[in-house]
Amino acid sequence: MFKLLLTWRYLKTRFIALASIISVTLGVATLIVVNSVMSGFSNEMTSKLHGILSDVELVASGMGEIDRVDEKVEQIKSLLQDDLEAVTTVVRVPAMLNFLVHGQPRYHQIMLIGIDDQTFGDVTDFRPYLTNHFHRNGDVFRLMELGYDKELPDAGWPYRREKFRHDAYIRQELESMLQDRAKGLPPIAQNQLPVPHSPSATTDSNQEPLVNIAKLPPLPTQKPVLPTLSSDVPAGAGSEYLSDCGPSLNPSESNTWNPAPVDALAAYRERVLVAPFDPITEQRVGIIIGIGIGRLRAHDPTTGTSQNMYFIRPGDDIELTIPSAGNQPRPLLENCTVVDFYSSKMHDYDSAFAFMPLSHLQKMRGMIDPATGGATVSAIQIKLKPEANLNSARDRLRAAFPMMQYPLMVQTWRDQQAPLLSAVEMEITILNILLFMIIAVAGFGILATFFMIVVEKTKDIGILKSLGAPSSGVMSIFLGYGLSLGIVGAGAGTLIGVMFVVYINEIAALISMISGREVFDPSIYFFSSIPTLLDPMMVVAVAGGAMLIAILSSVLPALRAARLAPVEALRYE
Amino acid sequence: MKAKLVHDQVSRGTANPAHENHDVISHAPFRSPKNHSNGSVILSAHQIYKAYQAGSQQVPVLTGVSLQVRQGQFTTIVGQSGSGKSTLLHLLGTLDRPDKGEIVMNKQRIDNLPARQRDRIRNQDIGLIFQFYHLLPELNVLENTLVPYMIHYGVWNYLLQRRRLHDRAKELLEQVGLSHRLTHRPNQLSGGERQRTAIARALITQPKLLLADEPTGNLDARSGNEVLELLRQLSEHQALTVIMVTHDERIAQQSDQIIRLRDGKVVASTAEAA
Repeated sequence: MFKLLLTWRYLKTRFIALASIISVTLGVATLIVVNSVMSGFSNEMTSKLHGILSDVELVASGMGEIDRVDEKVEQIKSLLQDDLEAVTTVVRVPAMLNFLVHGQPRYHQIMLIGIDDQTFGDVTDFRPYLTNHFHRNGDVFRLMELGYDKELPDAGWPYRREKFRHDAYIRQELESMLQDRAKGLPPIAQNQLPVPHSPSATTDSNQEPLVNIAKLPPLPTQKPVLPTLSSDVPAGAGSEYLSDCGPSLNPSESNTWNPAPVDALAAYRERVLVAPFDPITEQRVGIIIGIGIGRLRAHDPTTGTSQNMYFIRPGDDIELTIPSAGNQPRPLLENCTVVDFYSSKMHDYDSAFAFMPLSHLQKMRGMIDPATGGATVSAIQIKLKPEANLNSARDRLRAAFPMMQYPLMVQTWRDQQAPLLSAVEMEITILNILLFMIIAVAGFGILATFFMIVVEKTKDIGILKSLGAPSSGVMSIFLGYGLSLGIVGAGAGTLIGVMFVVYINEIAALISMISGREVFDPSIYFFSSIPTLLDPMMVVAVAGGAMLIAILSSVLPALRAARLAPVEALRYE
Repeated sequence: MKAKLVHDQVSRGTANPAHENHDVISHAPFRSPKNHSNGSVILSAHQIYKAYQAGSQQVPVLTGVSLQVRQGQFTTIVGQSGSGKSTLLHLLGTLDRPDKGEIVMNKQRIDNLPARQRDRIRNQDIGLIFQFYHLLPELNVLENTLVPYMIHYGVWNYLLQRRRLHDRAKELLEQVGLSHRLTHRPNQLSGGERQRTAIARALITQPKLLLADEPTGNLDARSGNEVLELLRQLSEHQALTVIMVTHDERIAQQSDQIIRLRDGKVVASTAEAA
């Protein structure tokens, strides 16, 4: 009984106990918050990585290609049976993308991915990352009239029409000027020349258009201006003629590799012969580029805010340089129309990926065997059912496609991202060790505090012993003291830590409001809010560890108290 | 009603202005020595040796002390400071172990018992009073008095008997004249009150033996007299065996037995001589 009473009284009357409790509390709260945020980040990141990558991938080793694709897909389907959710094929090729900014070319090295827009979205999280919400279910490679991000309200067809009309107007003006000059009329002053339209000239989309379209002369085209291409370009068939209409593509070369069906070819000839490519009403082959390629994010350190600068918008045309397939690749040039941005908020992907139709890329690069009509791909991507075992599926596929026989590798998304995942894991481990040292510091604080209290209480210990208190009882006063500090400190720390994690976004907003600086800028990170993952086991382990440390650090002082000889203790003044 | 009697006398003692006199003890004889030789021996020591280590040197404190205390006797141990009287009391009170010799209490040797049993004896059979009171500063008077019970009983047993134990403690505190001070902390009490609290604490488990180490040494004459009178009443009416260390010759003269120590040896023991 005396143990409880004295432990309680010592707790109540010692200010220093409060300091120990606070240090344990802070340690526990920090550990819980950091752990939750770290695992939240890594969880979000891996799920994002997982979403972008497919579960399992059969990838051609090196820059090689996988042939007899249909055969292999059938084999995969029969092999995985019920575990299989979806399968798609992709072509991946490094490419160079360039476009003009202020009249200067801007180059980007990218990874061009040819995708089958019917199945690719089933295997990976592709559609949700497109900025135009009409593209989230529908033909992703068609330029849209509406539905683009609110930062770019006029992107898509309205922008394209305005831009190319303006260009046409400029060209017309220049031509008439040249004609006037040829006729001997006085030259126009330099500053009266119309300014060429550049998309990067306006960062503010609300700005007045440079050219008043209403004042423009009638366009030199016989075709009506249509809001969409649906009547002009049948889906899928558009790519054949569009690529050929590109000004930089060699028509003779395209004839050699283009094994388009006869009717499509006829349509192409008709189009080329009847009417030239009209950029105001027609789009070239669609390309979806990572948003990091077309946009520069300017962060102003003085105000703590960021602003987006667009070099390029949906509706602009860009030029691609792609290596052709085969052992001696030649550069191929292709003009494409940017139809959308891909914004996964994973910077590595957003600044390096561009997507275009698989069939088009295969034709362009000469990946279609003229004899059989079968096309090669660079990877077969597989999505498994959620309950399927990733590694066993991989091992079954590896057994079916041994590396000795097939020039391809079977990898899960974890295998592909192993360096990143293990780096994140190691980061969490090291951080945990460091943070546990914080709690250990609190533990040493308790140790020092307890030694002080034991020294201070030496006389009381003598008194208790003189009244017949056993050594074990005296010891348990101090052990109980340590345990109470641990329980109170860890309890309060758990409470504070969990509350902090639960309300972390509100807290971040509050800090932003007070400091006037954005603590968490969602556009910089992958996520719109600070992700957290509260693992109950982690909370229990942290709180339990803190209590253990508190008890362990009270053992030494408690032992010392128990060993005090009563006579010595009483003599102590 | 012994308890009542003690209480009355203590109360009268505090109320009587005659006791303001600083030389109270000479006017009011402390106790008339009486012969207890027919009482059974409650505590005896045989050839006790005790030395303390001071650096590398052994400092002998007690060199062969023998004594006998009979049931109900009031014994004083007197001697110069450094003569080993406190050490002797500590050995008798099982706070320390002799290097050599035996201490027998109720025909049982207690100096070589395991620590647990000695703790028990100290808790139940021996009451201890010190010059510096040695109360626990965090607890109030009532709680301080109850500490031996708290040590004796586990949490559950204590809580079950809480009322009975509290009543006993309050009764005892009333006897020593502190019923108005139950919830005061030791630092709010005078020296005499503190010592009376310590006496109540020493007596709460109804020990057979009360060991007092200069209980008046730190008190003014009036408080000291009150404490002595209390002890005398207890010894007389409750047949409590008291062993008191003192260097006040007048107190010693009124006791049943005087044990004189010099340089760690008993030089005279009056009761046995009588």
